[in-house]
This record gives sequence, structure tokens and C-alpha cells, in this order.
Amino acid sequence: MWRPCGTFDETYAKDMAIVRTWRHWAALIAALLGLFLLPLWGPYYLVAFMNNLAVTIIAVLGLQIVSGYCGQISFGQAAFMAVGAYASAILTLKGGLSFWVALPLSGILTGLFGLIGGAPSLRIKGFYLAMATIAIHFVTMWLILHLDITGATGGLNPAPPSIGSYSFDTDERIYYIIVPVMLIMTCGARNLIRTRVGRAFVAIRDNDLAAQVMGVNLFYYKMLAFFISCVYAGIAGSLWAHMVQVVHPEQFTLLHALWYIGMLIVGGMGSIPGVFFGAIFIRILDELVLSVSPVLAGWFPWLGQAPAAALGVTAFGVVIVLFLIREPRGLAHRWEIIKASTRLYPFAH
Amino acid sequence: MIGRPIRRKEAIMKARWIRWVVLLAALVPLAWAGGAATAEAQEKYVAYLSLADYTGPIAGLNVPADMGVEDFFKDLNERGGVDGVKVKFIGVDTRYDLARGVSAYKRYRKEPKLLVVNCISTPLGKAITPLTEKDNLVVIVPGDGEFQAKRGRVFTWGTCYQDAYAATMDWVLEDWKSKGKTGSPKVGYLLWDNPYGREPLRGGKEYMEKLGITLLPPEFFPPGALEHTVYLTRLAEAGADYIIIGGVDPTPSNILRDAHRLGLTKKIQFVDATFWGPDESVGIKANPEATEGAVICVYYLRGEEARNHPLGRRLWEKYRKKPFEEMGSTYATGMVWGMDMEAALKIALKEVGFDKLDGDAMYRAYQKLGGGDHRQGMTGNCTYGPESRRGSDMVKFYRVQKGKLVPITGWRKAPDAVSLHKF
Repeated sequence: MWRPCGTFDETYAKDMAIVRTWRHWAALIAALLGLFLLPLWGPYYLVAFMNNLAVTIIAVLGLQIVSGYCGQISFGQAAFMAVGAYASAILTLKGGLSFWVALPLSGILTGLFGLIGGAPSLRIKGFYLAMATIAIHFVTMWLILHLDITGATGGLNPAPPSIGSYSFDTDERIYYIIVPVMLIMTCGARNLIRTRVGRAFVAIRDNDLAAQVMGVNLFYYKMLAFFISCVYAGIAGSLWAHMVQVVHPEQFTLLHALWYIGMLIVGGMGSIPGVFFGAIFIRILDELVLSVSPVLAGWFPWLGQAPAAALGVTAFGVVIVLFLIREPRGLAHRWEIIKASTRLYPFAH
Repeated sequence: MIGRPIRRKEAIMKARWIRWVVLLAALVPLAWAGGAATAEAQEKYVAYLSLADYTGPIAGLNVPADMGVEDFFKDLNERGGVDGVKVKFIGVDTRYDLARGVSAYKRYRKEPKLLVVNCISTPLGKAITPLTEKDNLVVIVPGDGEFQAKRGRVFTWGTCYQDAYAATMDWVLEDWKSKGKTGSPKVGYLLWDNPYGREPLRGGKEYMEKLGITLLPPEFFPPGALEHTVYLTRLAEAGADYIIIGGVDPTPSNILRDAHRLGLTKKIQFVDATFWGPDESVGIKANPEATEGAVICVYYLRGEEARNHPLGRRLWEKYRKKPFEEMGSTYATGMVWGMDMEAALKIALKEVGFDKLDGDAMYRAYQKLGGGDHRQGMTGNCTYGPESRRGSDMVKFYRVQKGKLVPITGWRKAPDAVSLHKF
């Protein structure tokens, strides 16, 4: 682990710490303070963007665990998110449960559902597993579309979370639920990777046969990876459902799953900061296109609104290809290089 | 000696990163400019937001339709706007992605004088309704009857899907009798497996029961599917006399292509009941033989009638500069949205003036559009009112003949099938 020059770990606790120096603490406190104050003083649009981003980060963190760390490629994350969203909506609307109970429950239910998704990983991997998870996506969406309990094509309208008479019914209010949950889930993921379980995931990813020879129980750990990943997707789905207050089959398409994979590629596979880099980069790119396309259409009237607005898809494709060619290890790797070079200061090498 | 190549490598990497940073730095102010609307500061502007799918499964509808409304506003602005108030058109590609649509709405909801939001997607319309209600904005959506049943600030563009379906059933019975047949026809149903695909049956099914028409088990397929043989075979084996199809072209044309290959188009009458059916510039052009004889039920002008409409012709000629044959059918629909906005703006400006002009004033104005002739014959009528969120209650039938859409009926009233369903 890199340290600033002259900084040494003198105790085991220091060696294990995530936040290591006073500068780290200062940055962390400033960031938390900034996040806390954002809805109070920040522009509304930024708050709404942060909510969307935080939900995405939770879903992609789950995908990072199963794909980035455990090496099991999954295109089912959007479908698993749908399961979480529907579970939460059904538990609150039809089960009469509070959001605060439905949130963890929907995560667990999605995790259990995800074990079905994980089952094929015992026999197949790589491209074949990816295809199997795509199949799971379609089966899930078909079920949602045809079951009465899910509201079929009409969808469901879950209420916003509340405490007593105080309702978290605006973006500024629900921000104080979504962002803390995102932070907790991030801490969970960060710590998970440093445990025996996390090391087993990495061992499976690097060489499953070697891992098995070393005593790693492939069945248990692959299923566990899918379970945890789906818990994350379920929590993200639940938050999304109560934020938008509409759950509908068309909210969770295969394209969303592709975007999540794209975020991992851009951010960096096998890295928790990579999730943040990827999600932020892609979401900002998306928002830039939203803002830039009307301006472009204004500057070049012959282009028209539609072609200008459609630049988003092109931009996404171009970015993914560029990253695959120029920076296959993602932005997280670039970040590590920058950190390493600053920590060496004042030495050149 | 050893250090030099390393330093050179570092320099190259630095240069690369500088390029990235410069590129991003150039994009940020551009984005800022998008929200600032600086150019309009001197003039009086109101905004119209189109949350449209330009690159997804219903792009075939959205792209020409938004061309129509964009051209209409360009023309309106060149004519000086409505009492000097011009309309700013903002088009956003939602990619048929609800999350992106909601995000886009949040991006533009604070746009100065945003008055009308067009959601070219039923689920998106439902998703942003709680927000638009808070913002007091007028929302227009395709044809979901639920918005008529639960009246709020959401208006449908034209006839509700179930009403058009009911009118199609009336036509089916007429056609059946005109062929000298007795008893009741068997009707098959083949549409997308999504809310749009199922909407006509919410009320339409009840209307069929009222008429005594037999509905065969409906067949649904995923949007984007290219092969329909299995569904068509099942419906044919069940003895369908008519098959109701739909989807945004080229979907209906692809269904007809498969039906033609199976030899069904000669035995079964295919009817598109959801407005966006075979287009002369898309599906009919690609499958002239297969689409021949198919019937379409619509609430707006199609084919030659749309292309020969003086305003449509003028706008297409002025802004698109392409052959008229390339004009997409829904270009006319887009113009209708613009016409409604212009007429409502006139009423609202007269009632409250520009300074007090807001979503509420537009909402009241939209309810006064019913019975007006502002649509210049592009649709049968306009029925917006205090008790009606329907854009129209008239439909017209066309038949594909020698690669052209030929009208086979005049405007006729569509039955109210929305009220037959419990929403």
C-alpha cells in the first residue's frame, strides 16, 4: 500500500485502516460535510442528479463484487434491480410494511432470487454465463409483465418513505436516505473485499481451478457473490422505486445492464473507487449530452433536434471503445498512477 | 541515459491528460450555455419540452413527429410568434429509458416559462405526473385511456387507443356484413408485449363483448422482435377472420411481411388499430406486396392527404428540402402538437398576459381548445375540455392500395371505450 513519504504503519490497526492520515480524515470530513450541505445550498438539479447517481453506484457496486472481484460476468443487474424495486413496492403497498422494513427485506429477497442467477455459474463461465444472465433478465421481465401482483403493464406506485408525518417526497428530502445508504453500502463493499470472503472471490476470478485446489469452495463463494451482488441491486431498486414513486417493467431494460457493465469498464474492474469513477463519468457524460444537444441544435439548425439529441448513444459507444483501447484498466488505474506520483514527491522516481 | 525515455514517456502522458482536461473544460461551459438560454434573454420566450425516443424502439414515430413540431415552431417564430411570444423547442432523447426521461425532466423543469411537456411514452408520462402536477405543467401523451379516466393535467394527443380499437371493431362488423357473411367474426390480436400493446384491450375488450365479436386469445411479442410466424400461425389455426396489429412502423409492416409469406394476407384481413401503422416511406416501401390491402385506423391525416396539406407541404418544403415521398406519416402529428400549443398560448396570453403566464394558465387554455378549428383539418376534431383529456374522438380508415394509403372512410366518431373499463 502506498503512503506519503515518511509515513509508516506502526501498529496492526494502522495497517488495516482505510482512512490513514490526517489529510485523509480532513478530506473525508470535508466530503461528508459537502454531501450533507448539498441539498440545503446546492442547486435542485444537482441534488436530483446525485440521487440518481447514488442509486446507480449501489447497483454497480453489486456488479463490481460479482463481476469485478469474483469474475462472474452478469448482465442481470437491471433485472435484479427490478426485483428489488417490485419487492419493495409490493411489501409496502400490499404487505402494509413500512419502507424502513421493506428496504432491507427487498435486498434479501433479491439476494435469494439472485441465487437462481448464480446457479448456472457453477457449470459455465465467461461468455456462456453472460448469455445465461441475459436469459435470466428476460425471464424476470416476462414474469413481472405477466403477474397480477406486479401490476402487469400498469406497474405500481409506491409511496415515498416517511417518518411519522414527515414524508421524504422531494429530491432534497430523499437525498438524506439515498446518499447515506450509498455510503454504508460502499463501506460494506470496501471491507468485504479485504476479508477472507473477498480474497476467495479474487482467487476464483484469477483462476478458479487453482482456487479450488487451495481449498476455496467454489459452489459456496460463487453463490455468495451472486447473493451479495443481488442484495446491492435489490437495495438500489427499492430506493429507486420510492424515489420515482413508479415501478414499471420498462424502467429496467437490458440496456441498463449494459450501461452498468460500461461503467465498470470505464471505471476499472476490480476496484471500489472504479465504481465511483465509472458511474460519475458515464452519468456526467449523459447529463452533458442532455444539456449540450439543444445548444448544438441551436448552433446548427440544419442538424435538427433529433440528430443532435441522439448524440448520447454515439458518445457512449465512442467512450467505451476509447477506454477499451487506451485505458483498459479504467480510470481507477489512472487514479492510482496519479496518487503514486504525488506520494513520491519530492523524489522523481 | 536511463531517465530520459522515462521522462519522455511521462511528458507524453501529461500531454494526453492535458488534452482530456481541455476537452472536458470546453464541454462544461457549453453545457452551461444550454441551461442559460442566453440568446433568448432579450425576446419573450416560452418553452416546450419534448421527452422523446430518438434512438430506441419508437424512434420511427418520434423522429418525424418532432421534425413536424420543430418546423412548426420555427415557422411560428419567424412569423413573430404569438403576440410577440416565441416558442423555444427543447428535444431530449430519452432512448425509451424511463430513468433518463425522469432525469431529463428534472434537468429542464426549471426552464423559464416551461409550459408544455410532451412525453412520447406512456410509462414516462405516468412517472413524471407527480412532478408535473407539482410544477403545474401541461403534459401531452400518446393515447393511454387512463389519463381520460383519471383526469389531471395530462392530455392525450388524439383519440384514446381503446376508443380507436372500438371504432375498428365497428368497421370490422361493417366489413364482415358487406361481404355477405353472417354470425360474428373471429378477431385475433397481435401487438407488443408492453403497456402500449395492451392498452387497446382495456375497454376495447369490453366493447367487443358488447358487439358480440369473438376475441381469440391475444398474442403479444417483445418490442423489437423481427419474426412473427409463430404468433400468426397460432391465430390462423384458431380461425381468425381479422387480425388487429400495431406497433411503430416497421413493426406492423414486418408482421404483414411474415403473414404474406405464410399466405395469410389473402385469407385474413389485417387492420392496424393504433395509429402508427405501415408508413409509405418505411414499411410499405419495403414490403409493397405484403402490405397491400391492409387497413389502418388513425386520428390524423396520413399518406397523400397529409403530404398535400398546405401547411405540411409548406413546412416540409421550407425546412426539410427533401422529396415529399420521404415525409414520415407522423410529421403531421407533430404539427398538431404545435397547433394546439399555439392556440392555447393565444388564449392564455389573452387571459393573463405574458408576465403571469404559467402552467396553470396553459392548463385552463388547453381545456378551452375543444371544438376549435386551429388544427386546420389535420385531425377530425379537437375535443379537449374540462371533462375531456382526449385530443380527438374522430378516426379515419385508410387502405394500402398499390403502395399508397387511400382513405376508405371519412372522419367518424369513435365510441367511448374508456368508460367501459375500470381503471
